[in-house]
Amino acid sequence: MGFTAVIADDEPLLRANLRTRLAKLWPELAIVHEMENGRGVDEVIAEHDPDLFFLDIHMPGVNGLEAARAIAGRSHVVFVTAYDKYAVEAFERGAVDYVLKPFNDERLNLTCERLRERLEGRPPSMDALVEQLAGRLGVKAAEHLRWIRASVGSNVRLIPVEEVLFFQSDEKYTRVVTCDSEVLIRKPIKELLDELDPAKFWQIHRATIVNVDHIASVKRGIKDQAEIALRDHRETLVVSRAFTHLFKQM
Amino acid sequence: MKTYLHLLEGLTVKRVLWVTVICAAATATVIWLFLNTYLDLFVTALCVGYTSMLLFTVAGNVRQSYMPREAAQVLAVIVGSVVGTIFAGFVKGRDVSQMFTERLAGVAISMGLGIGFGCIIVAAMILREKHARDQARIAKAESERHQLEKNVLEAQLQLMQAQVEPHFLFNTLANVQHLVETDAKSATNVLESLIQYLRAALPQMREGATNLGREADMARAFLEIHRVRMGSRLDFAIEIPEDLKCRAFPPMMLISLVENAIKHGVDPCCEKGVVTISAAENDGKLRVSVADTGEGVKPKEGGGVGLTNIRERLKALYGSSARLVMEENAPRGVVASIEVPATS
Repeated sequence: MGFTAVIADDEPLLRANLRTRLAKLWPELAIVHEMENGRGVDEVIAEHDPDLFFLDIHMPGVNGLEAARAIAGRSHVVFVTAYDKYAVEAFERGAVDYVLKPFNDERLNLTCERLRERLEGRPPSMDALVEQLAGRLGVKAAEHLRWIRASVGSNVRLIPVEEVLFFQSDEKYTRVVTCDSEVLIRKPIKELLDELDPAKFWQIHRATIVNVDHIASVKRGIKDQAEIALRDHRETLVVSRAFTHLFKQM
Repeated sequence: MKTYLHLLEGLTVKRVLWVTVICAAATATVIWLFLNTYLDLFVTALCVGYTSMLLFTVAGNVRQSYMPREAAQVLAVIVGSVVGTIFAGFVKGRDVSQMFTERLAGVAISMGLGIGFGCIIVAAMILREKHARDQARIAKAESERHQLEKNVLEAQLQLMQAQVEPHFLFNTLANVQHLVETDAKSATNVLESLIQYLRAALPQMREGATNLGREADMARAFLEIHRVRMGSRLDFAIEIPEDLKCRAFPPMMLISLVENAIKHGVDPCCEKGVVTISAAENDGKLRVSVADTGEGVKPKEGGGVGLTNIRERLKALYGSSARLVMEENAPRGVVASIEVPATS
């Protein structure tokens, strides 16, 4: 009997390649739809109800793993990926098939044979595998502020937070100081504190957040305060009494 | 109490012993001037010495901006000599009021001697401290130089390790595989671009010196490959004035920016994107920019190790006279520019 399939790959030539090869190796399989990324899986299933999806893993917008999650056991899935040692390792556990690009007819034929056997059965749920893969591919990184947008003249400068030595509030604005520049932004210290990575950015004063990677030395100062010297910068920063505990010896 | 302890920093047992020894020596030196016994004079000397030492230490540690630290220390010794002499009077149970009348001469001599010896010792200590500070400065400069050398080495290592991404290589080959059967001419073009790219990108194949023209050719090869792979979604332009092509430019940086423009700019946004490479020379600076009309940076997504590597390498190669600037493109996308001193 004839099965139906959908191909999702962001590269048009690779979609065409898979289509022509499948036509040769498995003429009864009908490619009913092609997608540039994983967006709109639900609509595709509603319209075509395919037995099978061929998913590229790296696609812009919605990637193959997210698409597989959306398919959620309604169709069988074969991942088609160029190079991904983690993916390969996980697939070798035998949950679903995978094809490494570029592939030859023999390898694709093997996949087709496996699929012919399995298509009779119910599509397996792949939630666990997909979650595991997503974790390994580092899809979910910690959500911290990584860029500071600041107007400089008529341009908007983009400063990676790693470059920032410290933030200091200056009446209405916040000073953003790097090794070679200084800009003003409107975002207050309090908001920055919520968004920055707390492992790298420490508040040391009501008005100051410092990037610990750029601290050269910390010196005891007067009245229970401390003073921070920075690498590549002349200014020193005051650590107020409430924050000196951050620098107490371990 | 804890708050003021730091004022006594440097008041070591060694310092106390030195002052004691110096007082003993000073007493022996000037004993012929006085009618007093050695012990009596030694007690006076110790009082003056210890008081001066205490004030000298405090003056060295206290934070004030009225005068230079050294002046404060000299002043401390003068005050210490006066106070110390009076203190010696107390210790020996003499009538203090007499000290400023009939015994004024002796007291004055004692104070003067204290001040004289004190100043000599202070001068010696200040010289020693200055020497120590100079040593520290030399050591610091030395360690900075080492750090810089280390940075340069690391930058070279990073350059060596800049790998051709397997993902890129295999995807490109998959495209060629298809084109060989369907469009042999295009297959040849992509292969040629790939070869040109690999010649420049593989560390073993890389030549030492490079210039902006060569780096731009490599970027062009890379963009050609991506144009084939991404179909209508990518377009590009390279606008580098002919006379700037022979300018020296560090290797693998331009390609890194182009890679970023595709990976974080054009690729994530599903519509068409344009990458433009341009170069200009102004005020002795060569500025090379890669602009894309893609997604723009997401505030919470980093620019990857590529940008950090470029920054570190620029710093190692040129210090503060080179930089990487990221700006927003209008109406959307990012412009990344590298500025280096212009040398041919």
